[in-house]
Amino acid sequence: MNFLTGKHISRRSFVRGMGTTVALPFLDAMVPAGRSWHDPTRERRFTRLLCIEESMGCAGGSEWGDARNLFAPAGVGRDFELGVDSQLRPLEAYREYLTIVSNTDCRMAEPYRAEEIGGDHDRSTAVFLTQAHPKQTQGSDIFLGTSLDQLHARRFGAGTALPSLEMCIEGIDRGGGCAYNYHCAYTTSLAWASPTQPLPAIREPRAVFERLFGAGDTEADRAARRRTNSSVLDWIVEEVGRLQASLGAVDRTAMDEYLTYVRELERRIQLVEERNSSGREREMPEAPSGIPDSFEEHMQLMFDLQVLAFQTDMTRVISFKTGFDQSNRTFPDSGTTKSIHGASHHGNVPADIMDFNRINTYRTGQLAYLLERMKSTMDGDGSLLDKTAIVWGSPMGDPNLHNHRRCPLLLLGKANGALEGNLHIRAPKGTPMANAFVSLMQGIGHDMKSFGDSTGTLALSYPRGGFSTTGSGA
Amino acid sequence: MRTYVASAGLLGIVLTLVGPIVGGGPRTRSPVPTSILEAGPPELADVVGTYCVRCHNERRMTGNLDLAGFDPARAHESAAVAEKMIVKLRAGMMPPPGARRPAADTLRTLVETMEAVIDEAAATDPEPGVRRFQRLNRAEYERVIRELLGLEVDAGRWLPADTYLGNFDNLSAAQGLSPTLLEAYLRAATEISRIAVGEPGAVTKSVKYTNPIEVSQHAWDHLEGTPYGTRGGMVVTHDFPADGSYVFSFETLFGQGTGFEDLDLSVDGDGVARLQLEHNGDRNVEIRTEPIFVRAGQRSVAAAFVRKIEGPYEDRLSPFGWSFVGGEDAQQWADYGITALPHLADLMVTGPIEPLGVSASTSRRKIFSCYPETSAEERTCAEEIVADLATRAYRRHVGEEDVAGPMRFYEQGYADGGFEVGIRTALQAILASPSFVFRLEQLPPDVEEGERFRIADADLASRLSFFLWGMGPDEELRTIAAAGKLSDDDALERQVRRMLADPRSEALATRFASQWLRLQDVKKNQPELWLYPDFSGQLGDDMVRETQLLFDHLVREDASVLELFTADYTFVNERLAAHYGFTGVTGSEFRRVSYPDETRRGVLGHGSVLLLTSMSARTSPVLRGKWVMEVLMGAPPPPPPPNVPNFEETASASEGRRLTTRERMELHRANPTCNACHRLMDPIGLALDNFDVVGRWRVREDGMPLDTRGTFYDGTELTTPADLNGVLLERPISLTRNFAANLLAYAIGRRVEYYDQPAVRAIVRDAAEDDYRMSAFVLGVVRSDAFRMMRARTTAQEPDADPLESLVPRSEER
Repeated sequence: MNFLTGKHISRRSFVRGMGTTVALPFLDAMVPAGRSWHDPTRERRFTRLLCIEESMGCAGGSEWGDARNLFAPAGVGRDFELGVDSQLRPLEAYREYLTIVSNTDCRMAEPYRAEEIGGDHDRSTAVFLTQAHPKQTQGSDIFLGTSLDQLHARRFGAGTALPSLEMCIEGIDRGGGCAYNYHCAYTTSLAWASPTQPLPAIREPRAVFERLFGAGDTEADRAARRRTNSSVLDWIVEEVGRLQASLGAVDRTAMDEYLTYVRELERRIQLVEERNSSGREREMPEAPSGIPDSFEEHMQLMFDLQVLAFQTDMTRVISFKTGFDQSNRTFPDSGTTKSIHGASHHGNVPADIMDFNRINTYRTGQLAYLLERMKSTMDGDGSLLDKTAIVWGSPMGDPNLHNHRRCPLLLLGKANGALEGNLHIRAPKGTPMANAFVSLMQGIGHDMKSFGDSTGTLALSYPRGGFSTTGSGA
Repeated sequence: MRTYVASAGLLGIVLTLVGPIVGGGPRTRSPVPTSILEAGPPELADVVGTYCVRCHNERRMTGNLDLAGFDPARAHESAAVAEKMIVKLRAGMMPPPGARRPAADTLRTLVETMEAVIDEAAATDPEPGVRRFQRLNRAEYERVIRELLGLEVDAGRWLPADTYLGNFDNLSAAQGLSPTLLEAYLRAATEISRIAVGEPGAVTKSVKYTNPIEVSQHAWDHLEGTPYGTRGGMVVTHDFPADGSYVFSFETLFGQGTGFEDLDLSVDGDGVARLQLEHNGDRNVEIRTEPIFVRAGQRSVAAAFVRKIEGPYEDRLSPFGWSFVGGEDAQQWADYGITALPHLADLMVTGPIEPLGVSASTSRRKIFSCYPETSAEERTCAEEIVADLATRAYRRHVGEEDVAGPMRFYEQGYADGGFEVGIRTALQAILASPSFVFRLEQLPPDVEEGERFRIADADLASRLSFFLWGMGPDEELRTIAAAGKLSDDDALERQVRRMLADPRSEALATRFASQWLRLQDVKKNQPELWLYPDFSGQLGDDMVRETQLLFDHLVREDASVLELFTADYTFVNERLAAHYGFTGVTGSEFRRVSYPDETRRGVLGHGSVLLLTSMSARTSPVLRGKWVMEVLMGAPPPPPPPNVPNFEETASASEGRRLTTRERMELHRANPTCNACHRLMDPIGLALDNFDVVGRWRVREDGMPLDTRGTFYDGTELTTPADLNGVLLERPISLTRNFAANLLAYAIGRRVEYYDQPAVRAIVRDAAEDDYRMSAFVLGVVRSDAFRMMRARTTAQEPDADPLESLVPRSEER
């Protein structure tokens, strides 16, 4: 809980800041142990879903890297080792929460027409949680699919203040926009509420915080703001009705869409009001400020907010984009000063593959902070980590080739028993990643038969009698 | 009918060059102008057949293009394809170097014929296009709030980041709506209305500002906004909610054992405190002021160290680079003693302590056009304020209902806390209103589906002011629009000229040109600090400013757009001048200077462009060549073929020695697949290779003499930046059409499509007659159908959607 503990945490580094902040009280002091913010009597069985995208594959996606088990361990089932060079080594301590799924493909990110060849970076993000093929366009006629997280939000998020929350780490103002005639929404949005509706992700920790808890100096202030906003929303509905008469058809359609969001917001405010009138006292943590320059600090801040959002049951569904394709960001703490995109084009030179692996390892290592926070946060009869499914993966396999085969995928947490952990599943060659998603979704309460380009399911548990041989898993 | 006359003129040339008549053939869509049919030159179809179809055929599909059977005389029937050809032909890139070429005359006839055919067909029913309304993006939101309330806000605190499309952040097709966005506008309205009116009952709270890493704290580096005679520090804009006392506290980094430092604090330029700090080996030192009385309002708070060192100072590291912030490593720099002097890490403002009400501030002056002296006057005054704010915020004349809505919020706020809270609540509603956050445009009554129509004057005024100023119209423009006079061509031109002369047209430089030239990428390239230790964030900002100032200068002087390439002068301050090696410039103010020699001309000699087209540790002729082709000529090189590693990202050493850029280029030129495109890009970039990563002139790289010789794709030998400017300026049509197309896209908030090209050509033709003056381009855009008209449609799809798009595989179809 970095941002909640005091001032000296980040003193050793400069942190970009424009927003406001104050010395932050310690959250756990405000939410007494064993007492969660959601009413246990109304509690339904639900599994929280957190989907994290890693943008450009991994060093283990190359033949050389795979042979050295940089991502996929040699052994399958419970009998796997995370060697010194394994990108997953930093997660060894959380092995019982770790389900490694190797060898699945994201073929919907591959080109299907001559014009699409080369646009792998511009398609990848769109494909990760939809496993659908983006329609190549830069117009308003974008078309993809509904993402995994949004399906979960529809099923389990309706009763929460935020059906889903979208977060990201990097800015999206690349000069010239996006390439290969792909709309930038495909490269920036993981979450798609429908095939035509990408959801924007928030990068500013403070904005995430204010979405969760509102802005205001005191609870009375916050309540007053909610009341005013509530009547402003009523009035907006009237205004839209008045203005629509003079609009063209295209604009009228957009305003109708806008009205559905107005109602969604009204519902949200009402939910918070109801919860607040339940009479249980609580204090608000204070908002973090600015976007830290440091990747690690930014990640930890965002993880803190995710834990907070789950813990308070403000939302049950989060998607989190931790980088952008072709980003030239560097991670000096990883042990190399190469940029991530530069390092990803390692040209199959072993030393260069290892440099990329250093970045992979460093970035994967950030998860340890999240896992520790979730493990130590109690939620009723278990930890948050027991009750959450975390999907971590990349829609790219070997970024040196821009391919989308044998992509890295991890499932973390126990997902209310749907995941047993301490498992390496090596999918048979050619298994779509979507198969693993179908199984996961079935495990967490969905009656899902197929998803994206799925061809079936991929068992996520240890088979009775063990795996038959290494090499062909489930 | 200017367009028509111009194309008829061209046709004359076509006729004399290629002679007579060919038969009709089936007509698919637009009626074929008879004059064209009669002129239809059979040879041109043969030219395409002979020279283009060798690669662009069904089998090879080079560039995804099959030109078999393409008849230039009927170019309007496949205008989308023809426009692609025109771009390449005008740039002289096709047929490619090495391939067999027809005579230059023939190529010119080919391209001019296609243009004439398309323009004439388009003239009968020009397509103004259709798009959804735009919304206020971050940059516009900030400008609008500055104009409306006199406040500086960071819209990024609330609004999600804008999705870029094409080059720009304002295209409606990328401005999706979502609950996140709606909520963001609501939060912004709530917060800004409070900041603007002030909060007499504000509770004491602390606001912390953290210094961005790239702000140099070097012994000699002065920071803009701090007093002279200081070094480093930080400057923030703070919203003081009420008159009262505030405590300022600071934390510093490093500086162990450097003795005493004096820290100077000023508010709005007035010194309010000077603090002494002493490092006794502590890593982090916190110091604070006594409570200081400050009046309510948005004020600039500057803290900086008193400069004590004038002579040489051994501090080679500017605090720049990601390595500085990444955890434990950061401290090592200090431990090594490289950066010795204390750095200001953050500044915290705590208050108000015992608030004493709210006195006059800029934003309150902008809001309270009246102030009631008795309670009886309150409602009348409130109505006056609301009407004034709504008019300015909604960018149009407001009716009774527009005032009645926010007045309900006045009543609500009044009941809670009296007049001031009433006004604040009304302002909050106005800022949340769809009339404010959306740039809605009216559909005139009686317009049928598919019909073209002129947009209303008020909407035209709004388009115009967002185009030229990046914000809503001022009173004069609103008044003229409300009087229905903006439809008049002369009145429109007068307004354009007035607005261009207004300082607010700096938006053309800071918004339009910055995005077109991709200046936001300057900050994304962090030069490696062991190679470029003198680089700092301030220097990067200066470089961006230099380019913006040149563009702004051309707008103000109404100079030729081509001066972007020919300018023998630039704009620098002391820091940038020293960086470039110019002498005689002192102080932080930018000023115009003439280049001392001929090495630099125009933007291709600007640090900004050279840095954003480099890698962090070396130059990249490939990126520079690509940037010139894509950004300046509008003819990007084709994408690299699949499964070929990006050359720029691959190895650069051989047998323990770093390869020079040239050696690496020769290496990949050996590969014919790579060579096909790199022979276009690389010589362009090589001609700029005398400029290093940060834009300084050099003659050696890694100790090896530079060899920048190359051959431009038209066969011209290139060695220097001047040579490059020369070959570019031989193709003013490519440069100016690309400029016009970008300007048009930015102005109308949608991508420029093939059906806009006749308009783009018309803009450039007219501008050419006016020496390519800035105002000629701006007026051309403003007078275009795309800017002044729309087509009534039920969907925002392009009129001619690519029929191939229905073939896109979707997961369920697989």
